[in-house]
Amino acid sequence: MTTTRLKLNLGPQHPSTHGVLRLLLELEGEKIISCEPDIGYLHRGMEKMAEKMTYIQYLPLVDRIDYLAGFFYSELLCRIVEQALCIELPDKVRAIRVMLLEMNRISSHLLWIGAFLMDLGAVSPFFYAFREREMILRYFEKLTGQRMMYNYFVFGGVRKDIDYLEDVEYIVSYLPQKLDEYEKIITENPIFLRRTEGKGILEPDTAYSFAITGANLRASGIDDDYRKSDYLYKGFDFKPIVLDNKDSWARYKARVLEIRESLNIISQALDYLKKADKLEQRLINPINLKLPQGDYSAEIEAPRGLACCFVRSDGQEKPYRLKWRTGSYYSVNLLRELLKGEYLNDAIAIAGSLDIILPEVDK
Amino acid sequence: MNYLYFLYVEFLSKYNIPKLFGDITFYVIPFCIIAAALLVVVLILVLAERKLLGYFTQRKGPNRVGLWGILQTLADAFKLLCKENITPQKADRILFNIAPILAFVPMFAALGIIPYSSEFTFVNTKTNVILYLILAAFPVLSIFIAGWGSNNKYSLFGAMRSIAQVLSYELPITFVILSVVTLASSMNLTEITLAQFSTGGVLGWFVFPCILGFVIMFISILAELNRCPFDLPEAESELICGYNTEYSGMRFAIFYLSEYAMMFANAMFISVLFLGGYLSPFGKYFFDSSFLIYFEQAFWLFLKAGILIFIMIWIRATLPRLASFDLLKFSWAFLLPLSIVNLFISVFYKLLMEGGLWH
Amino acid sequence: MNWNEFQRVFSDCELDGNKIIIKSKLHDVISFVINNYTYNILKEIIAVDTADKGIELIYHLYSKDDEEDLFISIVVQDEAESITDIFESAKADENEIYDMFGIKFEGNEDLKRLYMPEDWKGFPLRKDYVQDDTRLAWNDNNEA
Repeated sequence: MTTTRLKLNLGPQHPSTHGVLRLLLELEGEKIISCEPDIGYLHRGMEKMAEKMTYIQYLPLVDRIDYLAGFFYSELLCRIVEQALCIELPDKVRAIRVMLLEMNRISSHLLWIGAFLMDLGAVSPFFYAFREREMILRYFEKLTGQRMMYNYFVFGGVRKDIDYLEDVEYIVSYLPQKLDEYEKIITENPIFLRRTEGKGILEPDTAYSFAITGANLRASGIDDDYRKSDYLYKGFDFKPIVLDNKDSWARYKARVLEIRESLNIISQALDYLKKADKLEQRLINPINLKLPQGDYSAEIEAPRGLACCFVRSDGQEKPYRLKWRTGSYYSVNLLRELLKGEYLNDAIAIAGSLDIILPEVDK
Repeated sequence: MNYLYFLYVEFLSKYNIPKLFGDITFYVIPFCIIAAALLVVVLILVLAERKLLGYFTQRKGPNRVGLWGILQTLADAFKLLCKENITPQKADRILFNIAPILAFVPMFAALGIIPYSSEFTFVNTKTNVILYLILAAFPVLSIFIAGWGSNNKYSLFGAMRSIAQVLSYELPITFVILSVVTLASSMNLTEITLAQFSTGGVLGWFVFPCILGFVIMFISILAELNRCPFDLPEAESELICGYNTEYSGMRFAIFYLSEYAMMFANAMFISVLFLGGYLSPFGKYFFDSSFLIYFEQAFWLFLKAGILIFIMIWIRATLPRLASFDLLKFSWAFLLPLSIVNLFISVFYKLLMEGGLWH
Repeated sequence: MNWNEFQRVFSDCELDGNKIIIKSKLHDVISFVINNYTYNILKEIIAVDTADKGIELIYHLYSKDDEEDLFISIVVQDEAESITDIFESAKADENEIYDMFGIKFEGNEDLKRLYMPEDWKGFPLRKDYVQDDTRLAWNDNNEA
């Protein structure tokens, strides 16, 4: 009897590739021999576009790099400009930004929890997670006028003063009990445990070598959270979530705990904002905005790993070169290593646990 | 030959139609009745599943077509009817076309052998149970043919998984059925039902001596039906739609239909084996007239099946999918030994009841 | 990191803030840095087309223990040394740079078009790239 290996084309229009990821799998039975990710189906030329636009023209676009965590990328671009022009942010702007960033992180993680459980075949958590995410998006819509592409942070501050704080207060008081519910139906579910515990082990060395950052790295037992050294988070009391299990379960648990930690940060920001005076900020006139010649780079702890922005300015209105680093891009390349030898059934779960989002990969 | 048969032949003889015609048509007419009734049942089931899943996940479910969304399934069926029937170019045309038929036919036949009420069994043979076992396992053949014939790798995976699954879950089912057969001392479904009769109503049901068997049976039936958490053959997030990925239009509708019909048939089968079938849970019927009693009996059967189906939908809304190895391991290493234990329990119970242990 | 020690080994380099500018021996420099200091993660490789000198590659290294960033910059023409044997993640970065700048990395066998179609001509992020491909519907040259 002769056996041949089967080449399977997973994607780009597959229900569980979360967008348009294409995985070329080589299978022996259901065992994966090799996996070759093929990306670029969602490439929008973000870096090329930047060279043709002024900074303020480009600012609304960067929300679209990761449409689930838009605040993070516009924060990065603002940070570059503020860094170049040596602008110190007022405390209130910092608090507003931190609060919105963390809320965005929660909404992104909630969507991930739903999608991950959907990959595992559970229907309901998807809807539950979306119900909670909806509350956050409603708030964003009230505040910024947009549900996903906020365009709320501007160079030097925010577009308008924060408002509707009672909504945030409600979210902060409401989410923890919902999280307890999730833990009841997901974390204590024996089938879920069987499918995630010990699956997709990511050793710290491998994680370093593949430049994995964010919650995936912290679930492998490495205490590395850029928020700790971020000037925006100065004065906020929180501790990074580090788990030692290294498996899919740890990556799930890390995100759930991270939501709780984010809620903690939000409530600190909320306490400050409730007492704070009217917003006083010095916005930069974006017309004819020119950055001084030189290289600028900024980093931020985005929901899917470390995001960096590098700008080289030649003193003109448009950046000479702008480069994004996104966390998901490196996670996709990790699939090559992580899926080897796994069964198709588990492979979907492992790929899902890395929280890959394709617009971020393709930029 | 039962009461209905004589009624029918008598009716024919009034109009001078030969008895031979009656003999032949007596077995055909019931299937026409089933076909009509089944369509209604499936329409209700699909709507019920979507509504219930909706409520479980904090949605409203279909609520636009007709009052309370009642006509939604009808509209969907109509839509599928209008859609193009695509046969992939490289598919095996014969197998591809024959698969939906093979899924549908045994399911029809399986519905014919279930005793709906004391006189209302279309096909009543001495070994009904065996016949049912064969018919219930038949759809896997159609799944395999569909998976192989559509020349799609995802379909093939679905078919492979389905066969592995049905093969491993068929054994516990057989052992559990064997224990029920032992308790009832009969292989006829009507006699199994009657063996569960007691004045105490519920107390006579076989679910009490072999509660273990009931649970095993329920789990294994879930696996046979490819329902969550055993829905690996059609795992949406892995295999897109499994064996029926390439099917469209009416052929897909037939697969869909037979899936729900099989669910209904299996739920009724479990009710017959363990929950007293058409017997009233109170030990006596509400109606006195012999004619109305038939309807009451059918109502009890449908109610029991309905409750089981509700649990199936509930499970679907709650649990994630099993991993493929756990699935097989669960059957061979856990359910099979337990089902054998269950067989011993029921044999001892039977001997105890008949005083056979002291002879 | 100890700049003096570094300069003793590699004389042909200069320091600019936390950026080391080297002229050659990229692979050696990076493996030296990895082996002698605590840098353990290659965050990214940035490529900038400097138009006149060539293409500048900036390797962004990070040390978790010291919480310190390090940039190593080198100007290359069309070819560069690959460091995929040191960092697996360099595969991804080098592939992206190949796709966008057309730099061939010696030692990296897996270079292929990533974002652009397989048969795309030219490298979009180069400064001399002209958008005149006839496939672009909005192109002025495509009015036929």
